[in-house]
Amino acid sequence: MAVYTFYIFDRHTECVYVKSWTPPTQAAGASPAPAISAGSDDAKLVFGTVFSLRNMARKLGGDDDAFISYRTGQYKLHFYETPANLRFVMITDTASASMRNVLHQIYINLWVEYVVKNPLAPVEHKGGAGIKNELFERGLDQFIRGMM
Amino acid sequence: MAASKASRIGEEIWKTRIDKVNAELVTLTYGTIVAQLCKDFEDDYPEVNRQLDKMGYNIGLRLIEDYLAKSNTMKRCSNFRETADMISRVGFKIFLNITPQVTNWTTDNNSFSLVFDENPFADFVELPDDGRAQNELWYSNILCGVLRGALEMVQMQVEAHFISDVLRGNDTTEMRVTLIRYIDDELPPEDD
Repeated sequence: MAVYTFYIFDRHTECVYVKSWTPPTQAAGASPAPAISAGSDDAKLVFGTVFSLRNMARKLGGDDDAFISYRTGQYKLHFYETPANLRFVMITDTASASMRNVLHQIYINLWVEYVVKNPLAPVEHKGGAGIKNELFERGLDQFIRGMM
Repeated sequence: MAASKASRIGEEIWKTRIDKVNAELVTLTYGTIVAQLCKDFEDDYPEVNRQLDKMGYNIGLRLIEDYLAKSNTMKRCSNFRETADMISRVGFKIFLNITPQVTNWTTDNNSFSLVFDENPFADFVELPDDGRAQNELWYSNILCGVLRGALEMVQMQVEAHFISDVLRGNDTTEMRVTLIRYIDDELPPEDD
């Protein structure tokens, strides 16, 4: 399994965190990682997409319905939203199982512990302030690499 | 019934997932904060109430995330009555080990009271005997701010204030919580 990119969007719809991983070795014959860069335009597009899909899922399936993932020929996009409207998005290869639990664990064990409970991190993470601390970054990297 | 389920959840989390601290440490720390505020604002009690509310608000903004993580909440409460039960039986339970009664609902289900049979903040407390504190100071006002901040983060704008306090000589300690509105999702800015 390979994780390509991971985004966090705050409740003001701003992309406050983005990180990309390149698979260590590309197995022969495997399709190359899709060209999803960490540029701000991509983040905006990703947000627009998941926001619309989430709204559509709710419209069709009722207010409790949640958009979970979609898949293309090249990648699979996973989505998890907390009740406080923090949105986690992860893009992986197409073969991966549901990452909803993984995203939930990232929220509980990394976001809440290392960002929210960090007294020096602001409440609002404008421009990603307070998120790029060592504990969070390292924890996330280890967690993701542990799965790959 | 939803209320008993909430009680079970609260009990379970309290037992298994919460780091405990000495209750007297909490009581004395909170008492010191209020005493210091009274000193700093020269016994201007309405101002002390405002400061406590503001401190609580800033706590609430973060505490909600810890609440959501500990309670494993994946979706919103379906109505304000469920919200009230979760506040009392899960929120207060896991952070203070108390479950205030939810009561005195208005007919439109937008406003309720929390009646505190016990209040760990107020143990050993006597209000200053200056003839004003008894009428002006809401000793536990930080709790109003906590609720306001926490609920704002899950898109509920509420108003909370104490209407009676045993420290003032009332029979009960009662907080009134009123839902003002549900806050809409923020939309992404339009691209030009």
